[in-house]
Amino acid sequence: MTLQHYLVISAILFTLGIFAVLTRRNAISILMGIELILNSCNLNFAAFSRFMTPPEDISGQIIAIFGIVLAAAEAAVFLAIILAIYREFGSIRPNEVDTLKG
Amino acid sequence: MVVFLISLILLCPLAAFAVFGLLGLGNRSFQRQDYLSTAAMLIALVCSFLLLGEIAPDPEPHTVNWISLGGVTFSMGFYLDSVTAIMLIVVTLVSSLVHIFSMGYMHGDPRYPRFFAYLSLFSFSMLFLVVSDNLLGIYIGWELVGLCSYLLIGFWFEKDSAADACKKAFLTTRVGDVGMFIGMMMLFTKFKTLSLYGEGGIFALVASLNTGDMVWLSIAGVLIFCGAIGKSAQVPLHTWLPDAMEGPTPVSALIHAATMVAAGVYLTARMFPILTETSSLVIAYIGGITALIAATIAIVRFDIKRVLAYSTISQLGYMMLGIGAGSYVAGLFHLTTHAFFKALLFLGSGSVIHAFHAMHAHAHDDENDHAHDTHGHEHDDHALVHDHGSEIPPDQDMRNMGGLRHKMPITFVTMLIATLSISGVPFVFSGFWSKDAILGGVLGRAMEWNSVHHYLLFGIALCAAGITAFYMFRLIFMTFFGEPRNQEMHDMAHESPKSMTVPLLILAVLSLPVVNILWFNEDYVQPPEQPHLHAPQHAYASPDSKMDEARVTLSLFGVSEAVAAEESGHDTHGAHADDGHHGHGPAHAIAMVLSICAAGLGIFLSWLFYHRRTLSAESVATTFRPLYNLFWHKYYFDEFYDGVLVALTVWKARLFAQFDGVVVDGIVNGVGKVTRDFLAVFIGVFDNRVVDGAVNRVAEVTWAIGGKVRRIQTGAIQTYLFVVIAGIVLLILIFRAL
Amino acid sequence: MEFTLKTFIFYGFALMTVASALIVVTVRNIVHAAFSLMVTLFGVAGLYVFLQADFLAATQVIVYVGGILVLILFGVMMTSERFDMPIQVKGHIERGQLLLGGVIALALLMLLLTVIANTPAWKNLTDDGTELPPTTERIGELILNGPFLLPFEVVSVLLLVALIGAALISRKEVRD
Repeated sequence: MTLQHYLVISAILFTLGIFAVLTRRNAISILMGIELILNSCNLNFAAFSRFMTPPEDISGQIIAIFGIVLAAAEAAVFLAIILAIYREFGSIRPNEVDTLKG
Repeated sequence: MVVFLISLILLCPLAAFAVFGLLGLGNRSFQRQDYLSTAAMLIALVCSFLLLGEIAPDPEPHTVNWISLGGVTFSMGFYLDSVTAIMLIVVTLVSSLVHIFSMGYMHGDPRYPRFFAYLSLFSFSMLFLVVSDNLLGIYIGWELVGLCSYLLIGFWFEKDSAADACKKAFLTTRVGDVGMFIGMMMLFTKFKTLSLYGEGGIFALVASLNTGDMVWLSIAGVLIFCGAIGKSAQVPLHTWLPDAMEGPTPVSALIHAATMVAAGVYLTARMFPILTETSSLVIAYIGGITALIAATIAIVRFDIKRVLAYSTISQLGYMMLGIGAGSYVAGLFHLTTHAFFKALLFLGSGSVIHAFHAMHAHAHDDENDHAHDTHGHEHDDHALVHDHGSEIPPDQDMRNMGGLRHKMPITFVTMLIATLSISGVPFVFSGFWSKDAILGGVLGRAMEWNSVHHYLLFGIALCAAGITAFYMFRLIFMTFFGEPRNQEMHDMAHESPKSMTVPLLILAVLSLPVVNILWFNEDYVQPPEQPHLHAPQHAYASPDSKMDEARVTLSLFGVSEAVAAEESGHDTHGAHADDGHHGHGPAHAIAMVLSICAAGLGIFLSWLFYHRRTLSAESVATTFRPLYNLFWHKYYFDEFYDGVLVALTVWKARLFAQFDGVVVDGIVNGVGKVTRDFLAVFIGVFDNRVVDGAVNRVAEVTWAIGGKVRRIQTGAIQTYLFVVIAGIVLLILIFRAL
Repeated sequence: MEFTLKTFIFYGFALMTVASALIVVTVRNIVHAAFSLMVTLFGVAGLYVFLQADFLAATQVIVYVGGILVLILFGVMMTSERFDMPIQVKGHIERGQLLLGGVIALALLMLLLTVIANTPAWKNLTDDGTELPPTTERIGELILNGPFLLPFEVVSVLLLVALIGAALISRKEVRD
């Protein structure tokens, strides 16, 4: 296994996440896409930490852990917003929430 | 441990202030703020004593990086050497005592909690200034104490005089601070740092400068000293300090006698390594002149607090003189002893005022402020003079006092001790040792360098010492001895409550030299190196010629040569200018003898004038009318500022107003006339057709485009995201192609 | 690189991750998508194990699968009109949006792959297979008694703020 293996996997996950964010018709699906993006980033951190730095330096892993914590915080706030939107609009489809339409 | 203790010292008063700040400034404030603030100060005091054991012989600053801007990093940090430790103890000790004293003095004030909150904020700022290891931190603390001073001078802002005084203090010190800031920036542009200590600190870098930079360095040193001129009320920026006595008396004791005004001296001492011959001499001259001028003004004042204020200015000048003459240790030694005995004098005067004030408030039941009563007295001719000092509140006027020593025994004894100390009465009082150390240092430098300047400065300092003894005993005689001059006030006077007398007693003990034992240990406080201070070419004369010089000096001041020969016979090797400790070398022996003579003469004259009344002060005043007027008008500094600077500003403003009224208005009006009469008709038509038409067309086009373009704003997040991500992809592609 | 059991398992995990992620973004039933996401997260955890990041792998499983995924499922249930029916993505999918999204995502993928293939510093970095000591203890040291203490505390406060904020946003409006 080389560094490039991990980078390719992470690139695919990232692209799939972006695709989901751009095309899904449900806010929760968009959240899943974002989680994929975050996972790909964390995977990158861990991979670079393994291959690019001396073995005793594990800063990359710690950053990845912080990333997981941020993902948890983000998911909580995201779902709270979704619930609030659902109460307000009766829907969580992003194209129906367009109060700011020009 | 060091960092922990210093943090605790800083955080305690800050927390006490924060409690007040968080609970609001209004009526909801914490009613037991006094206990809180005092407890915070006492904790800080204990920590300061603990710090004494933590001093490293060659201290390193404890820093953290604060801001990085470009290639420059500003750090914040603490620096703890023996001087810092002593300053911490002085500040926390005086502050604690003033807190306790204020519980009695300020009792019943409507803004009682606020007073203690301000005191806490001040203590924090002052301590921050003291422990900072870099100029930026010192500057922050510097401005914060200035702010606290402003707030506390104007604490009774209902009084116009207090409101004016606090503005005056703020603006006057700001003049000096501008100079200080320019000096800091000069150092910063040269060295790219504001840290003082350590490898890359200013002091290490200054040492590597060559002689070509001396002019530049002298200018920077003098500019930084400008800040000290403002803050420590040196000539010519001293005029704010007497007016600052409008604040509550504990404030005068803490801020305007013991600590904040001494910050200027502390700063100058901190900057000791960057001083050159020129800047040192400027500092010494300003200090010496201040010492003399302020002392002479103090002779003729009748307001007990103003006498003490001018005395403070004079003593600060002394410290500056000491540092400017290279007596680093002596200057700081005098700073500490002065902090104790001057705080004691102010608190004692506060006790007297409190006794009278209570009476005064009683007599005029409805008035709480210092009413401007008119009262007959022997100097009515001065009442016509335009002079802030002439409107003395009756409870501060020494002409209303007298014979108080039986009524207020504790206040009397403690104030007498402080007076003996400041007058330089030998051996058992700390003020003698520190003042003598400065005098000896100046004379030592004069002899070592064979420098006319320093002989002159020594003469000035000696005169100031004599005058100091004179006016201080004048104060004591007028207040505590003789017959009561105002029987009604005298009958009502009483000794102050315990919360006020206990701090007085503690401070009285602190005015004894035993307590200041640390300064007598020569190894404890070491003066820093001054890499760019070299003796002039003609210095280093042979020991013989030095002795000759000493004899000349002595005969100049009318002291018998025999004494000199005897004193100098003990020790024939040359005087150490940097040695601030007493008793070494002939310079110190000579200085000691002379200062004892000066003090004795001053006290004797004072006794003749104001106790025995063998000599009449009035007749002397009449004989030397011009001189008396000069002193009475405080060398016309205020008149000069009012008459010249203020008048210049007003004149300039008038000139501009005239210019504005005649030229600018004339042009505008002329243009207006022409426009109205000739152009308006033509332009009206043009306006309606062309301009309005164009505007309307533009509006219509905008409207139409807007109607189309707003469709882009779909309000759907995903559309926006599309654009964002496509944009990112495009940008990356473009940059890869380049 | 010879084809050992280890590489086989690695490719297995990689395939599992990518395939399930593909399902997450394409399947119409949102509950299926959520479960597929769980597989993806497990797969990433497996990759962490291959990177010898044992603590990270455990955290991934506990926090993501145990926490975030459950949260997502709650979100699904609370916003669906009826519990007994899987939430279908209703209405016609805009073909234009799908096409545009696909083009952009593909362009991004190509871009990333070229970058990965052409960066010299990233080439020929092979996992030599040496066993490294477990990371848990060192991570604990670094986080609680080392340079990451401050970030750790900050992130704790951030998490707290996020949770309080989430509770505040999602609670029912109290009318007075």
